[in-house]
Amino acid sequence: MARVRVFLAVLFLLFTSSPVHGADNGSDSVLESVPDLEKAMYLNLKSYPCVRLLNLSGEIGCSNPGNDKISAPIVRLKSGTISLARPSTVLLQEEQMQDFFLRVSGDMEFSKNVAGVLVEPSETVNMSSGFSPADKFPQSAFAPYSNTSYEWNLPGSGIMWNKYDFPVFLLAEESISTLKEIVGEGNEASPENVAEFDLVMQTTKLGTHDSETCLKDQTCLPLGGYSVWSSLPPINISSTVTKPIVFAVASFDSASFFRDRSLGADSPISGLIALLTAVDALSHVNHLKNLKKQLVFAVLTGEAWGYLGSRKFLQELDLGSDSIRGLSSSMIEQIVEIGSVGQSLGKGGTLFYAHAGGESSGTKVILKALEDASESLGSDNVKVKKASSMNPGIPPSSLMAFLRKNTSASGIVLGDFDSAFSNKFYHSHLDNASNIKTSSVAAAAALVARALYIIANGDATLDLMALNDIKVNVSLVEELVGCLVTCEPGLSCELVGRYISPSNGDCPSHYVGVFQDTPSASQKPSYVDDTSRFLWNFLADMTSATRDGTDSCTGDCSNVGDVCIGSETEGGGKCVISTTRYVPAYSTRLKYENNIWHVLPANPSDPMESVDPVWTESYWNTIGLRVYKVESPLYDRLVLAGGVFVTFASYLAVVIARTQLAKVVKRD
Amino acid sequence: MTVAAGVGYVLIALGPALSLFASVIAKKPFLILTLLSSTLFWLISLIILAGAWRAFLPVKSTELWPYSILILTSVGFQEGIRIGFWRLFKKMEDMLNAFADRVSKPRLFLTDKMLLALAGGLGHGLAHAVFFCLSLLTPAFGPATFYVDKCPSIPFFLISAIIALGFVIIHTFSMVIAFNGYTEGKRKDQIFVPFAHLIAALITLINLVPGGCNIGLPLLCIMAGTTLYYSWQLVWRRLTEHQTTRSSD
Repeated sequence: MARVRVFLAVLFLLFTSSPVHGADNGSDSVLESVPDLEKAMYLNLKSYPCVRLLNLSGEIGCSNPGNDKISAPIVRLKSGTISLARPSTVLLQEEQMQDFFLRVSGDMEFSKNVAGVLVEPSETVNMSSGFSPADKFPQSAFAPYSNTSYEWNLPGSGIMWNKYDFPVFLLAEESISTLKEIVGEGNEASPENVAEFDLVMQTTKLGTHDSETCLKDQTCLPLGGYSVWSSLPPINISSTVTKPIVFAVASFDSASFFRDRSLGADSPISGLIALLTAVDALSHVNHLKNLKKQLVFAVLTGEAWGYLGSRKFLQELDLGSDSIRGLSSSMIEQIVEIGSVGQSLGKGGTLFYAHAGGESSGTKVILKALEDASESLGSDNVKVKKASSMNPGIPPSSLMAFLRKNTSASGIVLGDFDSAFSNKFYHSHLDNASNIKTSSVAAAAALVARALYIIANGDATLDLMALNDIKVNVSLVEELVGCLVTCEPGLSCELVGRYISPSNGDCPSHYVGVFQDTPSASQKPSYVDDTSRFLWNFLADMTSATRDGTDSCTGDCSNVGDVCIGSETEGGGKCVISTTRYVPAYSTRLKYENNIWHVLPANPSDPMESVDPVWTESYWNTIGLRVYKVESPLYDRLVLAGGVFVTFASYLAVVIARTQLAKVVKRD
Repeated sequence: MTVAAGVGYVLIALGPALSLFASVIAKKPFLILTLLSSTLFWLISLIILAGAWRAFLPVKSTELWPYSILILTSVGFQEGIRIGFWRLFKKMEDMLNAFADRVSKPRLFLTDKMLLALAGGLGHGLAHAVFFCLSLLTPAFGPATFYVDKCPSIPFFLISAIIALGFVIIHTFSMVIAFNGYTEGKRKDQIFVPFAHLIAALITLINLVPGGCNIGLPLLCIMAGTTLYYSWQLVWRRLTEHQTTRSSD
């Protein structure tokens, strides 16, 4: 009978009205069933939402104002609009975003009629002055110096740190044509096009408006993830480490107005890629065991949300946990952090700036090493300069956490900028692959790899042959850029596929996300995101000394101290000797007890705890956006009236006809 | 378009049918049975047509003539079935009359026979409306509306409801005309029904032309009105004639 229905349905289309053509991007698609009709009526638009985030004092981000979906007619924002006549969905071009959100925060009259916002990405990015929804001095409260009004991020507007009581969505590129078809050139006649937003946030529903209450009521989760550290060569666990440590650091999380669109290409992924490439280059050096110092690499997450990764790492070092076994904070002599390094192309070569922080004798060592490394790279023309002394200190970076914890530490942040970020799209959805140059990243990797070798060599005589043998694999840089910062191939690229099977093979997103796990000392945590898992496997592979007769594994290895790389892949993994560990990254003020997260009071000896906002993200059920046409209420009432009229009129006609005919028949 | 509009569309499509059912048919159980069996009959005819046409569907042409062939054959088949339906009706009438004689009750009156025809026609009409309009109407109760590319001025559900309304009237009263025509042997009535059905079906092809629905729908309503008027004239004539013949007995 179901098959018959299909034939009959097709028959219907031929019998009565026209074959119903769906508005399917202009292509003629015939609708063949009621579900097809519904799909043609309600168009789901692929888009990226802005979600509700909370801290100790309040909320930021976006949410539906209540428990239900919101729908409002779409209105294009024209320049010079004074106010909106009724609750509307405002359709913005990307260039209008900054002004609009600044205005909404200040103008109550205007914002009360903003029911929702759609941001249409421009095909040609003509924002020459840049766009950054972050602050002008991101996370200034954590700085180890007092000049917090210094402007590191010149285009910064701070709009992502405000609270909005309406949903905001960024349309994906593939939805632009659908939207253009629907909205046209601002026809306001009935039927109107309406956008329906489903962005109901649990914290709004249950009225918990700051981190402490929402964590207690379990309507939100703290932000966090897993950082990874690895040592080259692997540390012998049975012996306590005696060599001083050279610590190379990069962060791998970014932030943006839109949760799922934080690529962070220049800040900080270019630095991450440079670090990974440097590890690869150094892994080919033969005699690392004989160097005076131990090389340790760490990639940290959660840095954009209160330096969660670095602060937790430092706390674990203090507590001597399992996750940092083999390290000791007193042995860390130099810290080299790789910041944004994707934009340093200048006239004939690359130029990087070394921002020094902490005790000067230590930083002098690092600076000398960088200069020597630059010299050794000779014709490649990779230059490094000390950052201007007019700067108040180091730029926003993980090094800030290390310096505030231990004032005798010393380190350098390497970046492609001097007195202000050269990244015009810091912490925005526009910081994508077109914002960085592979050659700049490769140059930074070469510089850092050689500088680290020089520092680790200590005061022994430098083996210049070995130094000049340290070469960077440029195709690896390109591969990593393709995997980590572009949507094609994105995480389904071959390099990533060698180590993990990503849960989301699409565009990578470097938003730190929420900490879903229950914190434990286990080195096999359950909820680790794709990027962290890839980094763990990659670093373990690069720093490994492969065991003879590699045994395949799917989890544990027979030898203690071995780790299993690539256990998720189809062929199974292999056991290698490597010291690579996950370190959890979440606020040091949080403690998980009795299945609930508790906010502890700030530790008075730790100055960063009192300024830690303790970011959390609200739970949400589904997030969606769809657009459809709507008739005016007058029309609906007219149709109902028409139907009632037809029914009653026909009833009357039947009654009259019956009486007439009865008169004719005249039965006795 | 919200629940109000959804209810409105249902009433537009089925209003007259409901009125007829409530005031005429619901009172006599036998008429209800006739209605239901004629509904089934009509659906079976559709199944057979679908089976026969299976190999040629979907028609990918943008020209109108393949559709006219489809409509021609389908209408022809259904009219043929209608004659069969009438033969069945005649047999049933004979059986009922024989039964009435046996229990010395009066035979079927003319009005009874016309009511049976009406119930049969209404069964056809209801099947058409439910199958071709109501089955699509569920999305109309939601907030969105829909417009077809070829008809940007009238919402799709409204077109659907009006077409269903037209065909309910056409099917219902065609049956009355047809039965009378076959009983009396009047050529004019016998030709009118297939003709009207065919013309109404072909009128819907006008909707395939961009903007055609603005012409097609009113024409369909005119066709329905014509059928209704013709049927009324015929019934009036028959009943008055019948009365005079009776009173002259």
